[in-house]
Amino acid sequence: MPSGSDRAAATVSVTIARDPALVRTVRLVAASVARRTGRDEEFVEEVRLAAGEACALFLGESAGSDLSEQPVSVTISFDEALSVDVSTPALVDVEDHPDSDLEGLEAWALLRGLIADFKVSQDAVSTTVSMRWPLS
Amino acid sequence: MDLSLETRNEDGHTIIEVGGEIDVYTAPRLRDKITELVGEGHYNLVIDMEKVDFLDSTGLGVLVGGLKKVRAHDGSMRLICNQERLLKIFRITGLAKVFTIHGSQAEALADL
Repeated sequence: MPSGSDRAAATVSVTIARDPALVRTVRLVAASVARRTGRDEEFVEEVRLAAGEACALFLGESAGSDLSEQPVSVTISFDEALSVDVSTPALVDVEDHPDSDLEGLEAWALLRGLIADFKVSQDAVSTTVSMRWPLS
Repeated sequence: MDLSLETRNEDGHTIIEVGGEIDVYTAPRLRDKITELVGEGHYNLVIDMEKVDFLDSTGLGVLVGGLKKVRAHDGSMRLICNQERLLKIFRITGLAKVFTIHGSQAEALADL
């Protein structure tokens, strides 16, 4: 297992159709890349959760309508930091709504609380969630 | 790992033993099971999550929805969870204060 300065940088990109069954695949890939950093299993689990959660929020009932044809792309890379970027060519609802189908749960609060370096960006046609963990 | 659901009754409570992953794909099955049980008049539920490998916000939403359903009938929902990675999710979302969470089935049943 590579560790510290011995680890080799890596980038893996996965694009999935808007099928919730495929989110598990993203989690497996994210965990695999995170494990290559040489960090402990708690770190691997956090990256797995974060990648899966971001995809779930993009695919789930609270994401918004008219997204059914848009794929979700996930890029996981590490060098000095591990980064997970989840994006879709659509405008995803990134606000929590107390009256949502998630029974009032503030779904985005989980990612915001879990990841210190967490950013959501949107332009006219796309939404991207960027998460970053320093490795040094 | 897919989601597994096993149900049994004990001391007037209905225990749902959940295994595998509760995520955006599988959570609707848990929601359907809870809805089915409440529809049959089971208002005191114990959700055993000892064998749960993964939980996301969709799963949390289903649990919150289940809690609201049983409370509408003056019922209860207790969770069994001793995995730190899952307990962390409950803490981050503030749900650790909403649910009664026990460390084991024996502890939960002793507290009924």
